[in-house]
Amino acid sequence: MTEWAVELKGVKKTYRTGPIEVPALRGISLQIAPGEFVATAGPSGSGKTTLLNIIGGLDRADAGEMWVAGQNLQLLSSGELASLRLHRIGFVFQTYNLLPVLTALENAEFTLLLQGMPAHKRRERVVKLFSEIGLAGLEDRRPAELSGGQQQRVAVARAMVTEPALILADEPTANLDSATAIALLDVMEHLNRTTGTTFIFSTHDPQVMERAHRMIRLQDGQIASDVARAATGLPLKAEGVAV
Amino acid sequence: MTSALLLVKLSWRNLWRNPRGTLLTAVALGLGLALLLVSLGLLDGGHEQTIADGVRFGPGHVVVQAKGYQDTNSNELLLPAQVVSAVEAFLQNGIMQPLVKGVSPRLLATGLLSSAANASGVRIMGVIPKNERAVSLIPQRMIAGAYLNNDKLSGVVIGDDLARKLEVKIGSKVVLMTQALGQTGTKTTQGAGDQMQSTLLRVSGIFRTGLQAVDANIIQVALPAAQTLLGVTDGQVTQIALLLEREGDSPLVAKALRRQLVGNPVEVLTWRESIPMLAQILGLDHAFNYIMNGVILAMVGLGILNTILMRVLERRYEFGVCKAIGLRPRQLALMVIGESLALATISLALGLALGLSIDHYFASSGLDLRLLFRTGLPPALVFDPILYSRLSPNRIVWSVSIVFMMATIISLYPALKAARTELPDALKVL
Repeated sequence: MTEWAVELKGVKKTYRTGPIEVPALRGISLQIAPGEFVATAGPSGSGKTTLLNIIGGLDRADAGEMWVAGQNLQLLSSGELASLRLHRIGFVFQTYNLLPVLTALENAEFTLLLQGMPAHKRRERVVKLFSEIGLAGLEDRRPAELSGGQQQRVAVARAMVTEPALILADEPTANLDSATAIALLDVMEHLNRTTGTTFIFSTHDPQVMERAHRMIRLQDGQIASDVARAATGLPLKAEGVAV
Repeated sequence: MTSALLLVKLSWRNLWRNPRGTLLTAVALGLGLALLLVSLGLLDGGHEQTIADGVRFGPGHVVVQAKGYQDTNSNELLLPAQVVSAVEAFLQNGIMQPLVKGVSPRLLATGLLSSAANASGVRIMGVIPKNERAVSLIPQRMIAGAYLNNDKLSGVVIGDDLARKLEVKIGSKVVLMTQALGQTGTKTTQGAGDQMQSTLLRVSGIFRTGLQAVDANIIQVALPAAQTLLGVTDGQVTQIALLLEREGDSPLVAKALRRQLVGNPVEVLTWRESIPMLAQILGLDHAFNYIMNGVILAMVGLGILNTILMRVLERRYEFGVCKAIGLRPRQLALMVIGESLALATISLALGLALGLSIDHYFASSGLDLRLLFRTGLPPALVFDPILYSRLSPNRIVWSVSIVFMMATIISLYPALKAARTELPDALKVL
């Protein structure tokens, strides 16, 4: 039996503001295998960010079942969710979100430090990753001294450095120009290929969609289409559920 | 441990994201501490001066007198001669001697002082001039003539208010009339009890203390003259006033004397017991000062709360990211508390530097109160117009602890706010 990196069954989420109810997810079911490079797309309000938040344990669903890295998210306390995020999930945010007071290297090693890894091992791992993704020599710069693309790479390094099972990226190229966005995608795809880490990102960007190996389109909180396209070695999927 | 170091590093660096804001807040808190230190130093200095002056115009730091004198003020309650010699012998021993600056036996009574022009009721103090010089401030406040000496038993020193009333000057003749003391128990052993006695004296000195009660009422004569007038023999006196090197030793010396004189019909009182009014006034002054400092610190504290809270609120998104990547609420709270404590440390350093510098100036050069009174000092001001600060190490530790504790308590609410950063709401891009 396949152990999915992510498995959702009938996930529902409704936001409530006073008497107004806004359904964000209306029964999402999907499976994502380890090592997949998946994009979720759809118009604003289609539920992309909510889906990523729920998969990442940042938000809780109202109904349905969710397994991430073999853990049933419904059964985890907020402390256990924090631990899952720290050890098994990496996040890349739209606006980089590096801590401005830390250097690039310190930002990247932040999660390792929280995990309690010794200093020399942290440094070794970050420096190696930096050289892989074109950040060599920028270790001691503060975020304000880096370009947007470089900052987003540092954010990717921060997400990757703990060697998580899953990386969630919410519109990672939204604030980058085309060339920088393509370079970032190269980095992410390279890491996906070499480490086998599962990537799930939301996007509006057509060139990101083109690079995804599997494309999940959302519409009004439901999966409108789910298509596997690239020759990634992964099984082809029909719309809806992975084979 | 490693993550604790990370939090310390983060806190310190976060503090300097807005250097101007940090410095302004640090200066505000530092000024609060400096103000606290300076006001406490001047308060304690003023109190020390007040106590020093108060006891030297009164019964000294410690007074030994016949049992019941404090309550009755009866002229007839006298210390037996053996008590006087026992006290003097005890104060000469090796342990007590370094603590005691002066010892003055006094015979106290009331009488009527008359001149050719007028008469006035007076409080008679029979003193040994040499001893009284070591205890009382009156010998130092002579404005005319000279203080008593042992050779001239007919001399009397009076206050300038009394001199004005009697229209006398140095060398003027005055007549002192009083009632001779009775003869029972610890009272006088011989004399003309209940009979009026009078003696002719010459004004040898006039003093001005500024205290109306002293300047208009107190007269001092040599102890033998007073004893003769009152019919007291055997060296009996009303009280023995002790001036100590340090006010703080008063309870210790009083306790030792009580132990030494146990079984004798005497009372040994510290200045707090013999001049309770002075102790109460100083206590009230302390309370008022604490309230004022409390108000100042509360205002500074609210300013700091506002600053830290604003810093936390504007970093809500950042806290959301920290939480998303695995920082726990407790760690977020510690980070904010760490920032506040780092800010408090800088403020305390600034406040200590400033406060101690100002205090040093006031301790060495003093604060000249005459600058506050354009038309001269109020006539009632008895004390040295230059106020010297006295800031004890205990006060410094206390002040620093209060301010540090305040900063810690103030940081709790913003820390709680940071810890309660809600996911995923905090991650919404505005």
